[in-house]
Amino acid sequence: MKKLLALLLTLTMVVSMAACTKKEDPATNTPGSSTDSPKATATTAPTAAPKKVTLNVTTTYAGNDGNAQNYQDAVANWEKSTGNKVNDSSSTSDETFKARVLADFETGSEPDVLFFFNGVDSNAFVQAGKVVSIDEIRQSYPDYASNMKDGMLGASPVDGKNYSVPVNGYWEGMFVNKEVCKAAGVQIPDANTTWDQFLETCQKIKDAGFAPIAVSLATVPHYWFEFSIYNFLSPSTHNVLPKNTTDTQGQAWVNGINDIKMLYEKGYFPENTLTGTDDETVQLFIDNKAAFLIDGSWKVGGIEGLTTDIDNFTVTYVPGKGDRKTTDIIGGLSSGYFISKKAWEDPDKRAAAVDFITSMTSDELVSKFAQVSATALKNGPTVDESKLSSLAKDGLKYVKGATGMASAVEDQVPRECRVPVFDGMPNLVTGKNDIAEAIQSVLDLTAAQ
Amino acid sequence: MKTTTVKNKRKISIGQPIIYLLLSLWALTTIYPIVWVVLNSFKDRRYILKNSFSLPIGDIFTLSNYELAFRRVNILSAYKNSLIISTTVAVTVIIFAGLASYVLVRYEFRLKKLLYGLVIAGMMFPVYSTIIPVFRMEYSWGIVNTDKLYLSLLSCALPQIAGNLSFAIVVLMGYIKSLPIELEEAAYMEGCNIFQIFFRVIVPLTKPSFATVSIFSFLWSYNDLFTQMFFLRTKTQWTITNLLNQLTSQEGTNYGLMASAVTLVIIPILILYIFLQKYIIKGMTAGAVKG
Amino acid sequence: MTAHIYKNKKPIIFFLAPAFAFIIVFLYYPFIQNIINSFQEIAGLGSAAKGWQDPWYSNYTALLKDETMRIALKNTLIMLLVTVFGQVGIALLLSILTDRVSHGAKFFRVVYFFPIVISATALGLLFFLIVLYDKGMLNQLREFFGATKLVDFKSKPYALFTMMIPVMWQYVGFYFIILVTGLNNISSELYEAASIDGATPYQQVKYLSLPLLRNVICTCVVLAVTGSLKVFDLPWTLFPKGMSDTWLTGSYMFYQVFNANNVDYSSAIAVVIVFLGVVLSKLVNTIFKEKEY
Repeated sequence: MKKLLALLLTLTMVVSMAACTKKEDPATNTPGSSTDSPKATATTAPTAAPKKVTLNVTTTYAGNDGNAQNYQDAVANWEKSTGNKVNDSSSTSDETFKARVLADFETGSEPDVLFFFNGVDSNAFVQAGKVVSIDEIRQSYPDYASNMKDGMLGASPVDGKNYSVPVNGYWEGMFVNKEVCKAAGVQIPDANTTWDQFLETCQKIKDAGFAPIAVSLATVPHYWFEFSIYNFLSPSTHNVLPKNTTDTQGQAWVNGINDIKMLYEKGYFPENTLTGTDDETVQLFIDNKAAFLIDGSWKVGGIEGLTTDIDNFTVTYVPGKGDRKTTDIIGGLSSGYFISKKAWEDPDKRAAAVDFITSMTSDELVSKFAQVSATALKNGPTVDESKLSSLAKDGLKYVKGATGMASAVEDQVPRECRVPVFDGMPNLVTGKNDIAEAIQSVLDLTAAQ
Repeated sequence: MKTTTVKNKRKISIGQPIIYLLLSLWALTTIYPIVWVVLNSFKDRRYILKNSFSLPIGDIFTLSNYELAFRRVNILSAYKNSLIISTTVAVTVIIFAGLASYVLVRYEFRLKKLLYGLVIAGMMFPVYSTIIPVFRMEYSWGIVNTDKLYLSLLSCALPQIAGNLSFAIVVLMGYIKSLPIELEEAAYMEGCNIFQIFFRVIVPLTKPSFATVSIFSFLWSYNDLFTQMFFLRTKTQWTITNLLNQLTSQEGTNYGLMASAVTLVIIPILILYIFLQKYIIKGMTAGAVKG
Repeated sequence: MTAHIYKNKKPIIFFLAPAFAFIIVFLYYPFIQNIINSFQEIAGLGSAAKGWQDPWYSNYTALLKDETMRIALKNTLIMLLVTVFGQVGIALLLSILTDRVSHGAKFFRVVYFFPIVISATALGLLFFLIVLYDKGMLNQLREFFGATKLVDFKSKPYALFTMMIPVMWQYVGFYFIILVTGLNNISSELYEAASIDGATPYQQVKYLSLPLLRNVICTCVVLAVTGSLKVFDLPWTLFPKGMSDTWLTGSYMFYQVFNANNVDYSSAIAVVIVFLGVVLSKLVNTIFKEKEY
């Protein structure tokens, strides 16, 4: 299943500069609002209920999400064309938002339609049977989500069934500051760069007086965690959770984190990597003080907003070793639209909820939201490349040249279980805590769920 | 009262310059941050990290942060919601706390110690530990998660009132304790009952403390993002603090936007505070005599 | 002496009912739930309990062994001393000084309150930019005076200072306002009488202001104690997730709820916070016990 997903994605993935709601709030590119109304794809639904309804909808398209405006326009258009009303309680995605959504399901005050993470974060309400599976919806609406590839919808970790319809996805890659590489006299890493060559490059950059790698181990260690363990696995084995610290995956995790520790000891990270925030380290990268930054596709828009010289930046592959080719990347689709059981069983709301999601996930709207990022569309998104910055085009090339893809393994671990490794990263690289023990605690916590 | 027999009357004015210097230094630390935030709200986000302590002149100057803030959200309705919630909280708190503190100070009764203990302990409950049960309770009453604006605002105000009552009772009790009981006795002699004593003697004398408490309750309610995020779900219900939170993303923090949002949040409340300050001073005419 | 006007206990109930109804429904009922939660197994925020802990007090034994909790307690106690002496001390000094100036007292009263008006989010941002490694206000200043190496104020050994100073600074104005209100309540005739008797300003403060402020100071100290046990927002914005071992009981509890999703464990921390708070306020009240002058 995962393999299939990876392959399919590889074929269709394109760059994202649009926001994606993965772990953080997405970047800050604000697309101009457009007013052309999306044509809802016709469903073969039984005629929509004549009664006009009010749908309660919660999404993460709010605040500074690059798609917040697109979403509001789309909702307004849908309201206009159907006569239904949307009671929108969208909010920036963070811990409070998640707690709120889960508390809503718990108390029976869940929304009718929810745009939410389709990974382990959704386990609680999927297990409780509070959302409807796509299969069940298709029994009444055979054409539901028919414009999407089923293998890419983002199956629930609970039972492998599809519950949600995704919009746009993400990839993770290595952003490069060309200026710093030039000043240090090193080649910009490319598809053929090996891990060992990368280490030499870092040493040269450090000797030239720059920070080779911009990362805040204090606040965002997860990108490095992802690629470091990927280096000891491959696209097909990356997404399997370790059972213990001694099996293939467990060993990869230990070795991967040891590599991060090694980079820390060699001084390839900024001096304040253990106390600085992500914003501080990104700023180093922008200010020509650091060469490399691993981050997600949403950072394309972030960098565009921070710099006056976008041509100074590019994105490339994270140098690999072992079974992992340098061109094997991380990416996927991590959120989607759910319909709650409550709305499904309400005869007035059922048709409206299906119609709402169908219109929100039409080819046209998905293309608009995704810009050039991953989608599950059978026909792929339609994008006007002439409007893109050089960095976004580099991102496009980055995905096209990918030879394999795995989704982020951290998404398989519930957020609260990642704590010993992620929040404990500063203590792991300084040797204060034992790496294998920390991984074991993560696995124990996950198993206890 | 102990007195000394020093005959030479020393003028207070000798120490005045030093006193002024000390006071002004502290005033500097309290004024500057606000000036700093306001100045930065007129800078492009790219310059804030590098030039956060310079004036927004020339290239750095921009109004784009405000344009963005106003384009994103309905600021006026957010102000209105903030005002409704926080005023409700402040008014309810001073009325209820005033009534309770008076009795807790002046009366001797069996449960007094226990009640006071409840008040003190109540101050220590971290809001994160009570919010979920409160949410469930309110949900069962049907006032949370509805699309009715005023119900939602009420659902947010209720826990905030409870959260501020303890503090208000403690402060008011401390103040009422220091009021001389003779005035109340005089009123009693003139035939006032307890309620009249409270409203005619205690309330006027306690005015400054009421003002203080109400301002604090108002402020805490205004700045209490956590509760507001939990109870106010839709855009029409948002307060100005919610809005500040919505405007600042977690990834690639836009400091310029943040500063402008902060400015929009604090300026009205500063104006309100300075305006109310007059009334506090008015209520502070020479108080009671004790000695 | 309590006057006989307060002999009749009947009206008490009317005075107390509204406030205590609120306190019981919105604070005690939820908190009792919270105590029950601390003995249960709860998977996540907003989900129901799976059952009782085995043994039922496991969370508390875990707390005793928890090294982070120990750090949090130690830091909180330091914070407590800093707030009681620093905040209330500075506030007392400022309020007495303000009381003695002939002009501008009103101005100072207004501006000292400013830091409380600004939300923690904004203050967090401000201090973030002051202590920023590359290059906040402090490092810019140091450079100006000839320093060549940047100092990371968020790493040990500076971290605790960096965390506590903003918290201390923010709340001085809060106690200041309470104290000034109390001072204003002292009749100026008393001071006049005292100065006619030849008391120096210092003596006036010592023998007049302080004794008369006793209750109000006691209130401030109790507030400072309970406040420092709960303090969370400002430290959290500067030092997310207890960075550089800057845990406080308040921030550790928040972390356990929202980051580690360990609801039952965080409930146990909340119980410990409240327990400590009650004990410490009792202690403060005993120290400040009303004396007759």
